[in-house]
Amino acid sequence: MKIKKNFSSQSGQHQIMVQTEPLYESLDENIRKIKEDLGSSDDIIIREIRIGREGSVKVAVLYTDGLADKQVITEFFMESLMKKDTLIEPIEQLSDGDKRLESLKGMVLQIGDNKDITDFASLYNSLLSGDTVILLDGYSQGIAASTQGWQSRSISEPVAQSVVRGPQEAFTETLRTNTSMIRRKIKDPNLWLETKQIGRVTKTNVAVMYIKGIVNDKIVEEVRKRLDRIDIDGILESGYIEELIQDEVYSPFPTINNTERPDVAAAELLEGRVVILVDGTPFVLIVPTLFISFFQTAEDYYQRADISTLLRIIRFISLFIAMIGPALYIAITTFHQELLPTQLLISLAAQREGVPFPAFIEALMMEVTFEILREAGIRMPRPIGQAVSIVGTLVIGQAAVEAGIVSASMVIVVSITAISSFVITGYSMAISIRMIRFVIMGLAASFGIFGIVVALIALVLHLCSLRSFGIPYMSPFAPFVVGEHKDTIFRLPHWALSSRPRLINQKNSIRKQMSPPSKPKS
Amino acid sequence: MTSNVKISVRQFTVIVMFYTIGTTILVIPSSLAADADQDAWIAAILGWVLGLLIVGFYIRLGRLFPNMTLIEYNEKVFGKWLGKKISLFFIFFSFICAATVLYYLGNFMTTQVMPETPIESFTILFAGIVVMGLRLGLEVVARTAEILFPWFLLLFIVSTLFLIPEIEIQNIQPVFEFGIKPIMNGALTFASTASLPLVILLLVFPAFVNHPKDAGKAYFIGTLLGGLFVIIITFLSISILGADLSERNMYPSYALAKKIDVGNFIQRVEILIAGIWFMTIFFKTTIYSFSFLTGLAQIFGFRDYRPFALPYGMILVVYSLVVYPDVVYMMDFDSTIWIPYALTIGLLLPLIILSVGSLRKKIKK
Repeated sequence: MKIKKNFSSQSGQHQIMVQTEPLYESLDENIRKIKEDLGSSDDIIIREIRIGREGSVKVAVLYTDGLADKQVITEFFMESLMKKDTLIEPIEQLSDGDKRLESLKGMVLQIGDNKDITDFASLYNSLLSGDTVILLDGYSQGIAASTQGWQSRSISEPVAQSVVRGPQEAFTETLRTNTSMIRRKIKDPNLWLETKQIGRVTKTNVAVMYIKGIVNDKIVEEVRKRLDRIDIDGILESGYIEELIQDEVYSPFPTINNTERPDVAAAELLEGRVVILVDGTPFVLIVPTLFISFFQTAEDYYQRADISTLLRIIRFISLFIAMIGPALYIAITTFHQELLPTQLLISLAAQREGVPFPAFIEALMMEVTFEILREAGIRMPRPIGQAVSIVGTLVIGQAAVEAGIVSASMVIVVSITAISSFVITGYSMAISIRMIRFVIMGLAASFGIFGIVVALIALVLHLCSLRSFGIPYMSPFAPFVVGEHKDTIFRLPHWALSSRPRLINQKNSIRKQMSPPSKPKS
Repeated sequence: MTSNVKISVRQFTVIVMFYTIGTTILVIPSSLAADADQDAWIAAILGWVLGLLIVGFYIRLGRLFPNMTLIEYNEKVFGKWLGKKISLFFIFFSFICAATVLYYLGNFMTTQVMPETPIESFTILFAGIVVMGLRLGLEVVARTAEILFPWFLLLFIVSTLFLIPEIEIQNIQPVFEFGIKPIMNGALTFASTASLPLVILLLVFPAFVNHPKDAGKAYFIGTLLGGLFVIIITFLSISILGADLSERNMYPSYALAKKIDVGNFIQRVEILIAGIWFMTIFFKTTIYSFSFLTGLAQIFGFRDYRPFALPYGMILVVYSLVVYPDVVYMMDFDSTIWIPYALTIGLLLPLIILSVGSLRKKIKK
């Protein structure tokens, strides 16, 4: 009831925001105000106790049920507070408030980090992040002790970016766990961490991590600036941040990459990039991001160099199939039949004989059907999965061909396109490619290969105009930097990857100085 | 002016190369064969050397006033009033060239590939990406050139390799049948189509290139490479199609691509090879348009040319439809009017600018 009143009386302004007034001296006053402000929510536990030999000192212990670790509170607070032995005795004799607090703190210090609280805003902030707050009667100051301990998901295997060889751990929803996972990989004092609270209402912790001395300071400054500019009520996932800080809004291409793998985050940090972690999501952001990043995986660096290079080339071939596969089919069957060898042409024509639609409509139908099936596969409740795959295979695969609605060759084209789009490692990039595919299909249907070439030129123009935190998106292809091509389409052996990407960081660019491993002298 | 835009020397080389190849690669074997018959390839080599000399001259002109575009040093040399008038000649030259190139593209598509589609649909679509490139600026166009260059190279090398088995050496015999004169004529045609329009690049070079010293080298190397590609195509065209067929075909290189036949499987891939020309024509049109718009902006003192990109594109499409009323007019224009016109803009005017400019410099000293 009270919350409701507060909301209406302050015309939508959130109530907690205005609580910057200092604490009262009287404990009863404080508790009354806290209860009023928090609307006597049931999960806020307020325990008033008397301590000291005669129980003359009133103390209140406040914590949020579920956020604070109850065991810690009972073991380290309550027991020592309630103890009526010598430890507490001086409290009553000390008349000065500061000294009493100091004495309390000395006792509370058992549980590690704690801080002083003087106003209601910081009190609520601590209380609602799981800290335990101790207020002493007669003093306008309190102590917040870190007792955070809520239920969270344990570290599990990566879902979106799995590898055959490599670490099998993924980030979780807890910010502190995530930063610790990166710290475990990079034990360097230069790995710096800055935390901000973003979101007026959600007050989400957002951490910016970088390696001082490797990172380009201008990029860090730019990240800070863009994060500070955010003014939003809530941040629930890193996608919010991504959209609010990206360079180009009107582009289908993602200019910020994300990962759920600590090893990838560590590798990007070592290349001089900045990692942005958001509390509440296992996906961390990486800036700046280049186009090429979406075609590299962590495993590329764990496998032998030649295999990785081959796989990367396959990924690029898949990119082209996913983007222009159906468009090429439409263009060739509609305008440039001469391209096909005669026998193939005859067999294609025979298949298409009964199909009542032009190739473009046929392709459009199949592509849209596939996209619907794919979307259904992701969104539907898991137990129904079987049904969709049956419908998918039967409808797309057989029945449509037998009914003469589409030709068998079109099914093949759509399938290979679909599979190819899954090969692209960056999920957000794969989505953009799928989107662009439809535009190219339309141009191919009206202008044939000419339309495809025009579409590709326009696409390259657009890609070349993009930047990610000031770094040209298409680098090192355009502007072309020879030295950077050791780790783009090709992945040279580790001993040859001797410098960091030059466009991202200019200083401290030497990674290692190694010659190729020499054969043992026999 | 957006003079803070800088492109690298490498990008400039690629742009010069694309620009030299442009539409030249599509039409030059035909006009060379008309001049020099089976010696067309020799004419191409001679024209190429001639073109390199011309570029050497342009580089000298560019060095005279480093960090200035042609428009700016026209004003410096001839004073504001006369300089602006002379600059108008240059930018109208680039506008007309842009329109003719666009017409070539539309004509090629409607006569060779899709006869039933109206020419406007091709030119409008193509002008669309040209306007897009103009709006994004020279820097982005230069980067695009860098990305498309390997694809161009791949298509070109593959098609050349596939064509080598088709060469019949008796097609280029007898050498020097009609003496040196027709070859010289051909060389002039080559230079006027491929090299003289390079004067337009003086609007880009050296003001927009980040190392003006090396830009001259890039200018030279770009022309050198571009000319090589054209020579190869001319040679293939003469030696495979023969002089007669090359002359009669309006687009002999397209006819050439039709000859590709590898193992009865890779055949009639001419439309894929045409992809090369779509790229080079795009860069040629864009550079012409870019020089026209930046020149216009400089002459009339606009801060930015970008607002004019879209209206320019519309005018360009319309003008490309009327610049040549028909193919006969085009042939006539190309063989009688084009060469003197290109010589005036590409050689005479720059010569005057160079001589007056160096005279003024000497007087100052």
